[in-house]
Amino acid sequence: MKYLTEKNNKYLYGYPNWKYKAFFVLVFGFIAILITGFIGLNFGTISIQPQKILSILWHHNTSDSLGIIIWELRIPRLIMAMLAGMTLAGVGGAFQGILRNPLADPYILGVSAGAALGACTGIALQYITGTYLTNILPIFALIGSFISMFLVYFFSKNKSHLPMTDLLLAGVAVNFFFSALITLLLAVSNRELHSMIFWLMGDLSNSSWQKISIIFLPVFAGSFLLIFSSLELNAMALGEEEALHLGIQTEKLRLRIFVIGSVMIAIVVSFTGLIGFVGLVIPHIARLIVGPDHRIMLPVSALIGAIFLILCDTIARTVLAPTEIPIGAITAIIGAPLFIHLLKRRNENNEY
Amino acid sequence: MNYKNKTNKEKNKVIFTCFMFVFVLFIIANITGTAQDNLFPITLIDDSGFKIVINEKPERIISAAPSNTEIIYTLNLEDKLVGRSDFCNYPDETKDIESIGKMSPLNLEKIISLNPDLVLSYGGFQLKDIPRLRDLGINVLVIRSDTIQEMIQGIGLIAHACGIPEKGEELISQINERINWISFQVMASSRQKPKVFVGSNFDSIWSPGNGTLFHELITLAGGENILGNQQGWVSISPELVAEREPDIILVPTGIMNPEEISKIKKDIMSHPGWSNIPAIKNNQIFAVNEDLFYRAGPRLVDGLELLYEIFNRKK
Repeated sequence: MKYLTEKNNKYLYGYPNWKYKAFFVLVFGFIAILITGFIGLNFGTISIQPQKILSILWHHNTSDSLGIIIWELRIPRLIMAMLAGMTLAGVGGAFQGILRNPLADPYILGVSAGAALGACTGIALQYITGTYLTNILPIFALIGSFISMFLVYFFSKNKSHLPMTDLLLAGVAVNFFFSALITLLLAVSNRELHSMIFWLMGDLSNSSWQKISIIFLPVFAGSFLLIFSSLELNAMALGEEEALHLGIQTEKLRLRIFVIGSVMIAIVVSFTGLIGFVGLVIPHIARLIVGPDHRIMLPVSALIGAIFLILCDTIARTVLAPTEIPIGAITAIIGAPLFIHLLKRRNENNEY
Repeated sequence: MNYKNKTNKEKNKVIFTCFMFVFVLFIIANITGTAQDNLFPITLIDDSGFKIVINEKPERIISAAPSNTEIIYTLNLEDKLVGRSDFCNYPDETKDIESIGKMSPLNLEKIISLNPDLVLSYGGFQLKDIPRLRDLGINVLVIRSDTIQEMIQGIGLIAHACGIPEKGEELISQINERINWISFQVMASSRQKPKVFVGSNFDSIWSPGNGTLFHELITLAGGENILGNQQGWVSISPELVAEREPDIILVPTGIMNPEEISKIKKDIMSHPGWSNIPAIKNNQIFAVNEDLFYRAGPRLVDGLELLYEIFNRKK
């Protein structure tokens, strides 16, 4: 770590002016989020005039039904989409860094399957025991994801090492095993099937201020911790050997990112369900736009993730209104062509 | 003169006076009970065990499930219905009422914008959205019926919540009368119970076992469900059907199984390994409207009567 001073880093990677770039990107990103947020606020099952929305926002009016719709339904949902998008895309980028694998996403290390199994078990128990468990489903999901995290860590740990390939393979194996258990659960259940499937496809419709207050702190604290590891991630991008030569303790870095990222994902996923695609592709889009320096790429990835998920959720809410489409379906339908387009353009321009 | 020495006639007189007294009391109680201002506020425990307080007679009702919509219409409350789910298709007039979308997840925005003073939910997979709706200040009544008796109680619950308990009682007694008539006919009959198999979607057969409304209706109508020893809806293998040799095959059709009945019939007739089943040999395959058997509404009794008719057809 001590070799990774500012000077060396510049020398090694040739990213001059990164501070200006970061400043510009952050300011631009926040403005973009505000604008997308306001656009999202304008769409919904009920059409409300933009002037009316502005006046509701300005006067913090929550007395009539329009006020309730804006302040208690649409705004919490926007913020939830934003936080989920940030987390998924940011953690996805960091995981791709520590695993040195472009196909890594936040779910690859088993967290999602664990969370899903936890939630589905909760839903099944609710019907079997007849007790009302919906409010504590996030706790089930959280327990599930911690179990799967622990299993992945336990299986991939080799004495005191945490080899990259083993981590990936253990993640994949745990994912498959837990998915099989979910399929089993789906096969033996019938009335609860619908709730389970909706959970598996991602659902932001239950966002509330209370949930936001729970996930806000972990998401922001985790994001900062990830961003502070950017230099080490940059070194990792050169290769494991090279990073070791630069004085990076790659094992510790890997463990740290794995734990921070997984905890963030576990907390978010336990409230939103599994929203796919964002964590896999948004980091690549960020990389295509601002280059591979993690100090800029990670925040940009989080910002794009937030904007992307807000837009997708707006579409999910409005296209078939009053019926809602699961957001997981929208993210991939819109994201995949966008990604392919960016990829093609990069190849044509032959950038970096 | 003590009681023992009374003649029979005198005794009757005492009893009669007592009866008259109770009867008059009853009428007085009834009159005061029906007075509008005594009904509200009313506190009810709904089928999710939640205590709900209704302060005024509901004037804007949303029904989030087809079963509740049908109960609303039978209680003649349709003027107060301002929203219904996408699946509410009976009676035909429901299509004129604004839809709030699919049954789950509930579209909270749509519900709030309709300004309801009572939302009738089915419970089940809607349960997860209900606490949120209640937090937002909307009265939600959960009606969850897994048996005919519970459906009847559900009618009572809705009638009470809407301030028309007498109308509910009347409907309930009509329904009970129709059910009792069939029960009596079945009890009195000496015919052997036909073995019944309910099958839909013959790629993977789902069939109702014990504890389902369908099973209850078959049993009440004097049939024997071949899956009576299973619990809930079960996925079964075709072999089991061949082994149990049903006398009658019922094919529920509707939204869930929209296929043409002639095609389904052909599929059943040509199903490998089923050629020896009596129902197929005697062509006892009947398409029935699934809504009469799946929906926990008053039309369950129509379903019951239909089954009774099918079971007692002259071959």
